[in-house]
Amino acid sequence: MLLLLENFLISISAIFANKARSSLTALGIVIGVFSVTMMGTLITGLDKTFEGSMSFLGKNILYVGRWEWFSDMDWWEMKNRPRIKLEYIDKIKNKSDLVLAVAPERRKGVSISYQEKNTGIEIFGTSENYMKTISSNIVSGRFFTNNEDRSGSRIIVIGDGVKKAFFGEKNPIGEKIKINNIKFRIIGVLEEQGKFMGIWSLDNRAIIPLGTYERIFSRRDFLTMRVKIPDKNLNEGKDEIMTIMRHLRSLKPNQKNDFSINQTKAFEKQYNSLKLAIGGTGTFITLLSLIVGGIGVMNIMFVSVKERTREIGVRKAIGATKGMIMGQFLMEAITICLFAGLTGLLFAYISSFFLNKLFPSTLDLGLATFAILISMLVGVVSGFIPSYQAANLDPIDSLRYE
Amino acid sequence: MTLISLKSIYKIYNVGGEEVRALDGVGLEIKENEYLAIMGPSGSGKSTMMNMIGCLDTPTSGFYQFEGEMVNEMDDDQLASIRNRKIGFIFQTFNLLPKATSQHNVEIPLIYANIRKNKRTELAMEALNSVGLSDRMHHKPNELSGGQRQRVAIARALVNSPSIILADEPTGNLDSKSGHEIMVILDKLHKAGNTIILVTHEDEIAQHAHRIIRLFDGKIIEDSEIKK
Ligand SMILES: Nc1ncnc2c1ncn2[C@@H]1O[C@H](COP(=O)(O)OP(=O)(O)OP(=O)(O)O)[C@@H](O)[C@H]1O
Ligand SMILES: [Mg+2]
Repeated sequence: MLLLLENFLISISAIFANKARSSLTALGIVIGVFSVTMMGTLITGLDKTFEGSMSFLGKNILYVGRWEWFSDMDWWEMKNRPRIKLEYIDKIKNKSDLVLAVAPERRKGVSISYQEKNTGIEIFGTSENYMKTISSNIVSGRFFTNNEDRSGSRIIVIGDGVKKAFFGEKNPIGEKIKINNIKFRIIGVLEEQGKFMGIWSLDNRAIIPLGTYERIFSRRDFLTMRVKIPDKNLNEGKDEIMTIMRHLRSLKPNQKNDFSINQTKAFEKQYNSLKLAIGGTGTFITLLSLIVGGIGVMNIMFVSVKERTREIGVRKAIGATKGMIMGQFLMEAITICLFAGLTGLLFAYISSFFLNKLFPSTLDLGLATFAILISMLVGVVSGFIPSYQAANLDPIDSLRYE
Repeated sequence: MTLISLKSIYKIYNVGGEEVRALDGVGLEIKENEYLAIMGPSGSGKSTMMNMIGCLDTPTSGFYQFEGEMVNEMDDDQLASIRNRKIGFIFQTFNLLPKATSQHNVEIPLIYANIRKNKRTELAMEALNSVGLSDRMHHKPNELSGGQRQRVAIARALVNSPSIILADEPTGNLDSKSGHEIMVILDKLHKAGNTIILVTHEDEIAQHAHRIIRLFDGKIIEDSEIKK
């Protein structure tokens, strides 16, 4: 124990005597530790964002439409599928035992204006049931009713982004905003959603009754049905909807589906392969730089042993055992790597602050510890042969060494 | 009491197929508190013999007993331990660690003996004091004169209270004045009860000892007491 501390002190002075050389060779380890911690930070950050985004999309929502979210099917094949008809909604609700709610959804990008200001948003046309199929709430005002939907009222529920852009802290309820020169009265504001995967804002949107949407825009825009199923019956629910849809479409058993049932699971698959790519690249970079760094440290240790041959001879003459010499040089290698590791960690810590602006990311303590242990392990591995060599030098030869 | 006993020690090197007998059948007994000078021409085997006595080198053949224990049969760690606790080396070229202070240099043997820091500092101060360098504790070797460096080296050799002090041409790199100072210290150590073996070329230095051995081609050709 005593010797450990002594060796540590010896190493520190040896390293500081050769600052430039030591830091240059250890650069690989700095990069290695940096990349492994950044990779971890990135993945945990993405995980959190992804979780948030998925709960926004709703894990228990099936999206029934013409388009497969992630598929290698040709786009024109999907485009030529028959349309989803509004009447399906009632039929699904009647025939299904599991479905909790079904809401239609048409959407398109429009320009919206209030007084002199205007901004681009996505407009949604849907029914009263929509609120049952999303995870966010109305923070002020209300949602529209079935009657307002049927009568095609010019009323609108705006997202938090629209509110902030036009009204700031003012109360927007009752104000009139224009889309395509048609006035809409604001009746409600949606809760803030944040950004999907930290990139696309989910707050720059507004919702109007489907009836109104179809009158003003189009009846031919793609219609998607949002079908809510209890969490625990997700798979059965999917099978059930599939059966009902095939029946509605009068498909024979040998015919393929001409509709799609999408789930957030599809995103998960996609996301997991992204994660795998990040993890793979990160691991590759980490390993590569640790190997390069390790070789650098090994090299510097060989030089150090050579330069201090005489010192080794003296130490042996006054009573150092092989183990003690070995310990001294191993400690030196470990200390170099430890410093390099801490430096890499510092850089990672600083970078995580910047990354935090994009999505939640904090340096994980366990990961930091792991990275430090890894860098020390590199020290042991790369210092082993030089230290072994030092320990086995002949004392007389080394004392004579010039 | 017999401290060291060498019996038919050979050290044979093979250089380019040719045998070099650095020690050629040496036998020698050294008692406690002897003051011995080893003399002889260059290449006669003086340093080889010192290294052998100091357990740094192992003979090609022969027997070596140190305080009654067979050195031949010891492993590396046991030899290191003997060097650490029983032997104090003084070299011609001082061999101090250049980046360490006098105090640290003197403490190194104590570190290897696993002695606590407080005790180490105390012993190092004592040793430096005994060679008259208590005011140079925190100097590094390049801040000291040659004579002072050798005195630090003596303090390092002394600090673990060894059974024997081995000095291979301790004055070889010093002017006569500093050399004389070193010899005064060695004389003092001898008077205090230490056993000292000294290698030298100079008769004047050898006269400090009480017994002189002459080597020639790896053989002892003379072993004489000096009457005082
Ligand atoms: N490693 C070695 N390999 C081959 N020969 C060696 C080796 N070490 C010593 N010798 C030879 O052994 C002989 C004795 O050497 P040693 O160093 O003991 O002489 P010395 O009496 O100390 O001489 P000096 O007064 O010059 O220091 C010399 O002939 C030397 O060349
Ligand atoms: Mg010699």
